[in-house]
Amino acid sequence: MATRALLAVVTASPPRMIQIKASTFSSSLKFQRHITTIGRCFSSDTNPSVLQPPDVSRLAETARISLTPSEIEECGAKIRQVIDWFGQLQQVDVSSVEPAIRAEMEGGNLREDAPETFENRESIRASIPRFDEVYLKVPKVLNKE
Amino acid sequence: MSTTLFRTIQPNHFTLLTTALLRTRTKTSRHISVRCQTSTTTQQPRTSAPKNHGSNKLDEILKDYEAVIGIETHVQLSTSTKAFCSCPNSYGSHPNTSICPVCMGLPGALPVLSSKVVDFGVRLGLALNCSLSLKSKFDRKQYFYPDLPKGYQISQFDVPIASGGYVDVDIPLEFGGGHRRFGITRVHMEEDAGKLLHSDAGDYSQAMIVDLNRAGVPLLEIVSEPDMRSGVEAAEYGSEMQRIVRYLGVSNGNMQEGSLRCDVNISIRPIGQAEFGTKVEIKNLNAFSAMSRAIDYEITRQALLYNQGQADKIVTETRLWDEGAQKTVTMRKKEGLADYRYFPEPDLPEVILTQEYVDSIRASLPELPEAKRRRYEAMGLGIQDVLFLANDVSVAEYFDEVIGKGADVKSAANWLMSDIAAYLKNEELSISDVKLTPHELAELIAAIKDETISGKIGKQILFELLAKGGTVQGMIKEKDLITDPVEIEKMIMKVISESPKQLEQYRSGKTKLQGFFAGQVMKMSKGKANPALLNKILLEKLNAKE
Ligand SMILES: [Zn+2]
Repeated sequence: MATRALLAVVTASPPRMIQIKASTFSSSLKFQRHITTIGRCFSSDTNPSVLQPPDVSRLAETARISLTPSEIEECGAKIRQVIDWFGQLQQVDVSSVEPAIRAEMEGGNLREDAPETFENRESIRASIPRFDEVYLKVPKVLNKE
Repeated sequence: MSTTLFRTIQPNHFTLLTTALLRTRTKTSRHISVRCQTSTTTQQPRTSAPKNHGSNKLDEILKDYEAVIGIETHVQLSTSTKAFCSCPNSYGSHPNTSICPVCMGLPGALPVLSSKVVDFGVRLGLALNCSLSLKSKFDRKQYFYPDLPKGYQISQFDVPIASGGYVDVDIPLEFGGGHRRFGITRVHMEEDAGKLLHSDAGDYSQAMIVDLNRAGVPLLEIVSEPDMRSGVEAAEYGSEMQRIVRYLGVSNGNMQEGSLRCDVNISIRPIGQAEFGTKVEIKNLNAFSAMSRAIDYEITRQALLYNQGQADKIVTETRLWDEGAQKTVTMRKKEGLADYRYFPEPDLPEVILTQEYVDSIRASLPELPEAKRRRYEAMGLGIQDVLFLANDVSVAEYFDEVIGKGADVKSAANWLMSDIAAYLKNEELSISDVKLTPHELAELIAAIKDETISGKIGKQILFELLAKGGTVQGMIKEKDLITDPVEIEKMIMKVISESPKQLEQYRSGKTKLQGFFAGQVMKMSKGKANPALLNKILLEKLNAKE
C-alpha cells in the first residue's frame, strides 16, 4: 500500500516527476533479477514551480484506498515530506543533460515467443475468493467514471 | 427512422462471396478508369460530403453537415505467448488456466516483453507508412476494473512504437467509388484485459464472471486521424485494417472472436465550421456493415438534434450499437476526462530498434493490399475484380499463382469470381480447401483457350477438379469418351450385323460372347466409347427378341 500511495502522489504531481519504485521479492515464485529504477519523465511544462500540497483524500480515492481522517492526517504529513524532497531534486540543474525517455537498464532482454505453462497455477487460483464454476465471480460493476 | 437509411449496405458486402452484385456491375463499368477519375476528387478541398452511401435522407443531411470520424482499432496478435509472460496465448482455452504471477500482477513478478510483439509492431507500423521510434517505452495506464488483475494496463503513452502514417483505400463502386487516403496517428503496443461476462446463473444482476486467459495478451492499437466522413468510408478503413493484419500475418483479424475491435469516434458540424462538434464514441461493432450503419444512424441522430435546436443534447458519451433495434443507445456518459495517471512502467526497459532490424523487416514485408490492387488494375482488370481478388489474401495468392503459370488474367479472374466463388459459397469452403490447384486452373484456362476443350466441358472439368482433384489432362482423356448413345448404338449394330454366327451362339446360351462384341465395338471406336454406355446398349441389342 505504501508504494502504491507513493506512486499516486508522484503521478499526481506535475510538471516533472521522479519516481522510485522498489517492489518486493517473493521467494516462492520464479523471477528475474530485480531492478530498481529511477525513471525521469519530462513534461512539456518546463517551469519547475513549487509542488502542490497533496490532496490525500483524492489520492486515496484514485487508488481505491479507504483512509480514516486520522490516517489522512498522518499520511498527509509524510507524503508532504516526500514531495518536498522531490522539490529539492527538481532544483538540480539538468539543462545540459539530454532527456532520456527511460533510465538506463540492461536492455535487449526480450523473450522468445515460446509458450510455457506456469506450474503452480493452483496456488494462484486458491487465492481467488469466489468462483462460478470455472470463472472468477465478481460483483456487478457499477461504473465510476 | 427511415428504413432506406439501413438498406444502403448489403450485409454481406464486405465478405468474399458477394459476387452476384459485383459481377453484374463489372460488365457495364469495365472500361471506366475509376482510379483516375477519383484521385482528382481526393485532391480537391471537400466542399460537400462524399455521396457514397446511397441514401437520400443522408444526402439531405450531408448538404448542411459534415461528419468527422476517427477510429481506434485494437488488433489481437497471433503470438504463441502473452505480451509480457510465457503463458500460452490461445483463444478458447479452458477459462482461467493461462495465468501466471506476471499476468496476474502478483507482487515481485517482472514482465519481459516478447520479441514477436516488437516484430509485429514494426511490421504493422511499416505497413501503415508510419515513422518508427527507434526508442520507445511502456507506461502504466491505471484504472480499476475486475478484468484487470494488476490494476493497470501496460501500454505506450507518449512515445508509441510507430506514428504519423497513412492508409489508402478504394471505395466500392456501388458506394460511389473512389480512392481515399486516411491518416494514421499512431500504432502502439499494449496488453489486453481479461474477459468480463454476464453470469448465466440466476443472480445475473448481482454478479459478473471473469476469464483471465486474455489478460496480458498482446495488442496493437491503431489510432486514425479524424479523416473519415461517412459510414462507408469508416467501414472501408476497418476492412483495410483487417486485410493488412491478415496479409502481414500478425492477427487473424476475426471480429466475432474480438481479435479485431473498432471503436468509432464521431461528431458532426455545420459545413464550413472549423471547430469539431461534441464527440460521441460508438462501441460494440462486430461487423463492418454494422459499423457503417451505426455511423449513418448516428449522423442522422445528431443532425436531427442540431436541426431541432437541441445541439446541447449531443453529449460526450459512449454509445452501443444495438443490432436488433438498428440504433445506437447510451452506454455511459463521460463526466470529464478519465484520469489514468499514466507513468513510465518501471519494470520494463525502453524498446530499442536498430535501423538494421527495421530494414530487415521492411525487406521481408509481403505485397500489401494497396500495392496488389494497383498491380491488378495495371494488368487491366476492372475495379470490382480488383477489389474482389485483393480482399482475401488467400484468394489473392491463389490468383497470383494461377497467372504466374501464364494463364490469361481476365479468364483467371472470371473463373475465381464466378464459378469457383459460387462453389466455395455452396460448399462453405475457403479457397485453401479446394482440391483444384492453381496449376490445374491455369491448365484448364489454357485448354479452353486453345480449343482443346469447349467451355462447357471446361466447366464440367472445373467442378470435378474442385471436388475431387486430379489433372486437367487426365480429365480430358476421360472426357474424350464417345458418350453419344446414338453413335454407340450405330457401332453396335454394325458389329452385330457383321457377326451373325457369334450372335446365334450368344442367343443359344453362350453369353460369354458378350465380351467379343464389346471388344469389337471398342476397337471400332478406337477406345473412346464410354464403356458403361456401350455395355448397357450392347446387352439390350443382344437380348432383343427379333
Ligand atoms: Zn502469464
